[in-house]
Amino acid sequence: MRASDLAPRAGLRVVTLGRNPNVSADQVYAGDRISDLLNAAGECILLVTNLASAQLMRMAELLDVPAICLVNEQTPDDNMLRTAQEHATAILVSSAGLFETCGRLHRCLNEEEQGP
Amino acid sequence: MRTVCRQIQGGGYEEGGAASRLVKEQLKRIGADPAVVRRAMIAAYEAEMNVVIHSHGGELRAWLEDDCLHVEVTDTGPGIPNIDQAMSPGYSTASAKARELGFGAGMGLPNIRKNTDEFAIESKVGEGTRLSFTIGLKPQALYGSGRNSIRIAAEKCRQSLRCVHACPTQAVRVFRGKPDILDYLCIDCSACIAVCPSGTLHVTGTAAELKPGADTVLVVPPAALVQFGPGVSAERVLREAAALGVGEVHVTAAWDAALQQAVLEYAASEASSRPVISPVCPAIVNLVETRFPSLISHLAPFVAGFEAAHRVLNGRGALVFVALCPCQRTALTGADSAAPEVILPAAFSAAIFPRLKSSAGARTCPETAAAGDESPLGDATDPRVMRSEVLRVGGLQHVINVLEAIENGLAGDLSVLELYACDQGCFGPPLLASDPHLALWRWEAAPPPPDPEARAVRRAAAFAPRRGLRLDEDMRKAIQKLARIDKLQRSLPGSDCGICGAPSCAALAEDTVLGRVAADACPRQRPTGEEDTK
Repeated sequence: MRASDLAPRAGLRVVTLGRNPNVSADQVYAGDRISDLLNAAGECILLVTNLASAQLMRMAELLDVPAICLVNEQTPDDNMLRTAQEHATAILVSSAGLFETCGRLHRCLNEEEQGP
Repeated sequence: MRTVCRQIQGGGYEEGGAASRLVKEQLKRIGADPAVVRRAMIAAYEAEMNVVIHSHGGELRAWLEDDCLHVEVTDTGPGIPNIDQAMSPGYSTASAKARELGFGAGMGLPNIRKNTDEFAIESKVGEGTRLSFTIGLKPQALYGSGRNSIRIAAEKCRQSLRCVHACPTQAVRVFRGKPDILDYLCIDCSACIAVCPSGTLHVTGTAAELKPGADTVLVVPPAALVQFGPGVSAERVLREAAALGVGEVHVTAAWDAALQQAVLEYAASEASSRPVISPVCPAIVNLVETRFPSLISHLAPFVAGFEAAHRVLNGRGALVFVALCPCQRTALTGADSAAPEVILPAAFSAAIFPRLKSSAGARTCPETAAAGDESPLGDATDPRVMRSEVLRVGGLQHVINVLEAIENGLAGDLSVLELYACDQGCFGPPLLASDPHLALWRWEAAPPPPDPEARAVRRAAAFAPRRGLRLDEDMRKAIQKLARIDKLQRSLPGSDCGICGAPSCAALAEDTVLGRVAADACPRQRPTGEEDTK
């Protein structure tokens, strides 16, 4: 499912869109440790995390991560936004916590998988 | 690539990753495979952040050498008291600040080791730590061996995309304007070389020259002897070759005839699967092992004629082979016993031409040389025998048609097959100047006497299916990737136009999921999932 379609269905706010508006987000990986995110990161993977930091953006840049979802309504600072725009990484924000956000994403992707 | 060198500040979290980014830029510039870039970035970033988190400061150096990325990260202390402990997953001495930022999981060093091909670490307390790793730039860890002799001069590529469509195993890609060959699919035929209009694809070893010496044992295939136009017989070229000052000259024709005879006898007495496929062309053996593994039992257990010549003549002197195509070169240079020197037909012609010019009067007409001679290849190549028992097929498309017919049980009337990747067999590789029909006619008109030492040689190792691509080492992830490939393929037009640089939509879907190409490579792709709503 496209990240831009997924966001409203999962109750996520789009802060900035990535390099490809059609980017597929049919896989999600959630974590709060950089090493875990590094191992999972790649094209077409939506990373869900509470690590709203410049380091997260640097990692996304190195691993070509197309989209990141920050949980607990964490707002990216100017530095993060600048890096995201420079490297065209989409940033979504969820008002819910990590667990609840993953549940919503799972539900949306599951519905997508089963079809209408 | 020039050496990348960047200082890393201890505690400099804001700048952490900057050195790794420099490495990534260099890898992108040389068009490294995205899967390789990914591994390199995981390892480099972990190593760089270790310096930031744990040390007083240091530096990262990276360079490319021998198809590998080499990275060395050093720091000025405090050093690691127990490296074994530091290498244990989950062990960490990171500060509270580092943990707050998501570091300190104790997975840094294990991650580096996991994503690199060679890894070393040494440390002295009070002095510092030196960590180094190497990553092969070809992502072969997940693929089969697939050695080949085809090389790419990317700067010459004009993106005609002919190679993409010509390859019978869909091994060629032209992404981001640069051609690439997937080794695990390449069968080492010369289909891509034959259609390349710019010389981008070529056989390695073009610089090798013939340097004759008294102990040189020169082995020449028939086709190389009939590249000198009308009136220059194979026998005369052989005489000129001998006059170059080499110790011995052998022609592989009789070895091919011996193989044919052996295969006929094998088909008559031993073969359990019919028709029997002669291993006369290594590219076809590769094709069967790669694309038609169900037909492996049809391959006769012998080595090709030129390989048999190598086995028998090995140790006689300084062996020099004229290889007609990439697969012959690969078979010779990758042999178990000592590899001979291999030159290409152009080098042989370059050595012979000056002698032909200087003795232009001493021509021997092919017709007169042939008069009264018996066939030097014996009964095995008697046209009557070949017509009834041996079917020769040249050209990859025809070969594939025949192999498919065998797979479908539609070739029960055939006995022995000699299948060649090139049209007109070994007279047709694109490395030869003469038209294959003319060359074959000239050879058959006046072949030189057969080599008395020729005989067939049985293979020591059995033929085996070539290991193909694994989508992922982790089976669960492999299955997920397969599902993504299937889904993505359904969003592609299915016209296999090749404009993206992949030979088919299915290949593009696989390349996209494996990270070889960006997700938007196809200009006609529908948004993923659209097909589900219709």
